[in-house]
Amino acid sequence: MVTIKIAVRARGLPIYLDSPESFGFVVMVPVTATFTYLLAVFSFGLDGDLAARQSMYPPRMFTRPLTTGALAGLPMLYGSAAMFVLWAVTRLFALWPTGSHVPSLWPALMLASLLAWTQALTWLPYPLPGLRIIVAVLWLGTIDAIAILALHFNARESLMLGILAPQIPLAYLVARFAVARARRGDVPDWRGTLVRLTQVADAASHRREDFGNSAMAQAWFEWRRHGRSLPVWVAILLPFELVLLWVAGDSTSLVFTILLAVLLTPPFMATFAAASVSKSSASASDSYGMSPFIATRPLTNAELVAAKLKMAARSTAAAWVLVLIAVALALELSGTSVVVLERWHRFSAVVGDPRAVVLLLLILWGCIASTWTQLVQSLYIGLTGRAALINGSVVLVLGFFVLFGPFAQWIAETGRLGEIWSALPLVFAALVALKMIAAVWIGTRLYDRRLLSDRTLVTGAACWSLAVFALYGVLVWLLDTPHIPHYLLMLLAILSIPLARLSAAPLALASNRHK
Amino acid sequence: MSESVITVSELTRRFDSKMALDSVSLSLPHGAVYGLVGANGAGKTTLIKHILGLLRAESGSVRVFGLDPVADPVGVLSRIGYLSEENDLPGWMRVDELIRYSRAFYPAWDDAYAEELRQSFALEPAAKIKNLSKGQKARVGMLIALSYRPDLLVLDEPSSGLDPIVRRDILGAIIRTIAHEGRTVLFSSHLLEEVEQVADHVTMIDRGKIVLSAPLEEIRESHRVDGHTPSLDEIFVARVGMSDVTPSEE
Repeated sequence: MVTIKIAVRARGLPIYLDSPESFGFVVMVPVTATFTYLLAVFSFGLDGDLAARQSMYPPRMFTRPLTTGALAGLPMLYGSAAMFVLWAVTRLFALWPTGSHVPSLWPALMLASLLAWTQALTWLPYPLPGLRIIVAVLWLGTIDAIAILALHFNARESLMLGILAPQIPLAYLVARFAVARARRGDVPDWRGTLVRLTQVADAASHRREDFGNSAMAQAWFEWRRHGRSLPVWVAILLPFELVLLWVAGDSTSLVFTILLAVLLTPPFMATFAAASVSKSSASASDSYGMSPFIATRPLTNAELVAAKLKMAARSTAAAWVLVLIAVALALELSGTSVVVLERWHRFSAVVGDPRAVVLLLLILWGCIASTWTQLVQSLYIGLTGRAALINGSVVLVLGFFVLFGPFAQWIAETGRLGEIWSALPLVFAALVALKMIAAVWIGTRLYDRRLLSDRTLVTGAACWSLAVFALYGVLVWLLDTPHIPHYLLMLLAILSIPLARLSAAPLALASNRHK
Repeated sequence: MSESVITVSELTRRFDSKMALDSVSLSLPHGAVYGLVGANGAGKTTLIKHILGLLRAESGSVRVFGLDPVADPVGVLSRIGYLSEENDLPGWMRVDELIRYSRAFYPAWDDAYAEELRQSFALEPAAKIKNLSKGQKARVGMLIALSYRPDLLVLDEPSSGLDPIVRRDILGAIIRTIAHEGRTVLFSSHLLEEVEQVADHVTMIDRGKIVLSAPLEEIRESHRVDGHTPSLDEIFVARVGMSDVTPSEE
C-alpha cells in the first residue's frame, strides 16, 4: 500500500480508487488477508483442530511460570496491539476514495474486538465436537451485524466506540475462564447425554470394512485428515449467502450477484483449506516436516501424492454436491427460480439451446476444476517442508494481490488496454513456453529419479494432451467468431489444464521425505 | 546367518557444522539381534533414519535387503517393522481403525497374531489413540510393527520414558519374535541392561563414530578383569565416558 501511495503521490500515476471494486481489491483484500492471518496467529488457530472439544490453547504454555490471567491476557494484548498497528498503517498508507471520511479509532477497536472474541472462543473447551465453530460463527456474526447496523444508521464514532469498547474486557474474562479450565484439563462432556446421536455419527465416520489396497487406505487417511474441511466450511457459509435470496426478491442483478458469490465460495474456501492439505504431515513436530509415521508407509512418493489428489477430488465433489443441492432448494423455496429461469430462456434464445447448455456446463466445470486446483496447486510448495519457501510463497501471493489492482487500473487509465489486448497472444505464448519448459524439466527429473514409472509419465502426458484438445474443441465451437483466433484458444486451453505445478508435487515430497 | 540384511558403508552425514555420522560402516546379518547403543546425540537415530530412507546418504551407501531405501522405499519399508521413540501414531484414529488401515499396506499381515497381541497388551479396539497413555501408545506401535511379521524390526529407543511393565511387554514381544521366527532386529537404546537382555551383537556409537562393534559375549570376554565380567553399562562408560557428551540432533 505504501508503494502504491508513493507511486500515486510522488510519481503522479493515474490510479483512482473511487469505485468500490477498485478500493476493495487494492485495500480491503490485503487488509482482510493480513487480519485473517493475525487472527489465526494470535488465537493459536493454526496449531489445532477447530472442531475438537479440547481448548486450542497450546498445552506447552501451561507450564510457563505465569498466572492464568497473564496466559490469557498477553496474547490478547499483543494481538490487540497488532490490530491497532494494522488499522493505523491502513489509515495512513491506503489510498482512500476521494472525499471519504475515514474514521480514526473504531475500526481498530472492531478488529481488536473480533480478535479478542476469536481468542476467547477458540481457547474455550466445549462439551460437543464442532460446537466451537457454530458458537464462533454465530457470536462473531452477531458482533459484525451490530456494527453494520450501527453504520447503516450513520452512528457517530463515539457511539461505535461505546458499542465496541466493552467487548475486549468481556472477551478477556471469557478467555481467562477458558484458559483456567484448559489449564486444569477440564473438558465438559455432553456426549453421554447424546449417546444415540454419537453412535450414529460414529457409525457414519468409523471405518468398519477392510481397505482393498494400500492406495485406498492412504486415500481414506487423507480424507479423514483434510478432506472434510472444505465441505464443512462451505456448509457453514452457504446458509448465510443463500438466505439473501429471500431479501433479493425479483431483483435480477441481486439474485445473480448472490449466485455468483455462492459459485465462488468453494474455490475461495479451497484456498484456505489448501494450507492444511499441502502440509506434508499435520502431526510432524516441526509443523512443516514429514512425520515418520507417514514417511515410513510402504508407498512411493507418487502414491502418497495421488492419495492427496484423490482426497481433494472427493472433497471438491462433496462441497459441490452441497452447493448444487442448496442452490436448487433455495431458488425454489425463495421463489427466485422464476427470475433465473426467465434470464436463462432469454439467454438461450439469443445463443441457442446447445451453446447455452455447454456454456453453463463449462462455467460449472470451471468452478469445480478451480476448486480442485486451488486445493492441490500449492502441493509442490507445501510438500517440500521448507518453511522459508512456504512463507515466501504466501508473501508473494499477497504482494501479487496488492499490486494487481493498481496495475490493472493503471493500464485502463493510461489507455494501454488496446496494446495489452494486442500483446495478449504474445503473453499467452510466453506463458505457454514457460509452462512447457518447466514441465519438461520436471518430467526429466521425475524420470531420472524414478519417482514416476515410464507408463505413468506417458499416460499422464496423454491424458493432459487429451484434456487440452477437448477443451480447445469446446472453446472453438463455443466462441465461433473471427475476432478470436484459434491459436489463442489453443494457448488458453494449454494454460487452463494443470501440468507443471502438479507434476512437481512428487519431487517436492521426495525432497522432504528423503532429506 | 551370513546374508546381510543391512549394509552400511562409509556413511557420513553432517548437520550444518556438526558431524552426525562419520564414516560409519556396519553389516547386520540375517537373524541377528543388533543392539545400537550410545548417549543422546551420538548418532543412533540419524543412522536409523538412513536405514529407513528418511535421510539421503551424503557420502557412502546404505543397502537394506540389497536395496537403496531412498530409491526403492516400497521394497524396503514393506519388509520393515518400525517403532520410533517419537511414536507419532495418528491420534484421531481408533485402535481398530489403525489396525485396519495398517493391514492394507502389508500383504503378510497376520490377523490372528494382531488379535493375540491386542489382547495381551489389553488394548480396547474402540479407544482413540490420542486418549491412550504413553505406554499404551507404545504397545499399539509395537502391535502395528509386529503384526505383519516383518523381516527386519527396527526399534528406535522403543522403551524410552516408559514404565517397567510396558518395557517388559515390549522386550517380551521382541524376544518372542526372535525365538519363534528368527527374524532380524535392530534395537537402539541407551538403557543398556535392556540391550543386554536381548542383543547378541552390540555396536557402540559416540559422536557419530562407531567405537566398538562385536558380539556381546566377545565384548564381555574382552573386558573381563580378574574374573569379573563387567556389565554393558560399565563397558560403555569405560569406552565412551559420559562427561563431555553434548546433546544435539541425532
